[in-house]
Amino acid sequence: MINRRNRLFLVFGIGFGFLLSRAGATSPAIISELLLFENLRLLWVIATAVAIGAALTWLAWRLGWRARNTGEPISIQHKPFKRGLIVGAVLFGLGWAGTGVCPGTALAMIGEGKGFALWVGAGILVGSGAGTWINRRLERG
Amino acid sequence: MDTFATLIDALFSPLWTPVLVGALIGLLAFAQRWLADQPLSCSTGFANLAGYLKPGSARDPEGDWRIVFLVGIVLGGLIATLSDGAPAWQGTAAEFGRFYTALVPDSTLGSAIWWLVGGLLIGFGARLAGGCTSGHTIAGVAMGAPASLVASVVFFAVAVGTAQLAAWMLGV
Repeated sequence: MINRRNRLFLVFGIGFGFLLSRAGATSPAIISELLLFENLRLLWVIATAVAIGAALTWLAWRLGWRARNTGEPISIQHKPFKRGLIVGAVLFGLGWAGTGVCPGTALAMIGEGKGFALWVGAGILVGSGAGTWINRRLERG
Repeated sequence: MDTFATLIDALFSPLWTPVLVGALIGLLAFAQRWLADQPLSCSTGFANLAGYLKPGSARDPEGDWRIVFLVGIVLGGLIATLSDGAPAWQGTAAEFGRFYTALVPDSTLGSAIWWLVGGLLIGFGARLAGGCTSGHTIAGVAMGAPASLVASVVFFAVAVGTAQLAAWMLGV
């Protein structure tokens, strides 16, 4: 359980949770202001994160940067078009708008002591289990 | 000295400049790929955790890091709230904002069911879509993945449409 990769991802998680909080992404009020176009600060957060990520991805590909753990070029992983992609994305959008929470921010909110996020987190956990089961059935036929 | 004091104040303020936080999130997400060749991912970790908690299922030690990452996010939120100098969360109407205050049922039971069902939709939807706002939007779109771009557009279109419609119906 305690190995180099797990220690590394503990640090990554702490950094991500801290930044989600400083971004305001863990405030339901600020999420609702984004969805109602009243305050676009989170749009700028997401747009900047994607732009920096895209620029680094391009540089890594162009210059052949290698991953430290494998020694191979950093992989560019494209998620597949799953059968349930559109239906799943619609359900996700409904849940996100209904609660102002997404899987990453639910955890940071729990850390911040926002009690309601425990309910959302429990729902995400059970929903993920059910979703994995449905995915297996969809893949089989 | 003034610059130093300003920097310290900024570090401990609850909200940072959007472009700064966005850039740091982008760098952190890329650091995962550079050091471990693993893109940012949250909802898959929830699925792994659900698998571990199911009685009689075998644990896959190769996926442990995803759950460790989720634990880290909780700790990150804790550190952020301990260092922002703001009062602790009380769950007041002002903290939830006028939209969620109007939308979520008032009673303790009603609101708990609301949050739980919302979470079920988020978890189930993320598994069907193969990712969430982390894996599809921040990581997937940055890598130019077409499926992630489609999923992200649907996430935002449905969330914005639902919120705008609900706000109009609630008159808030």
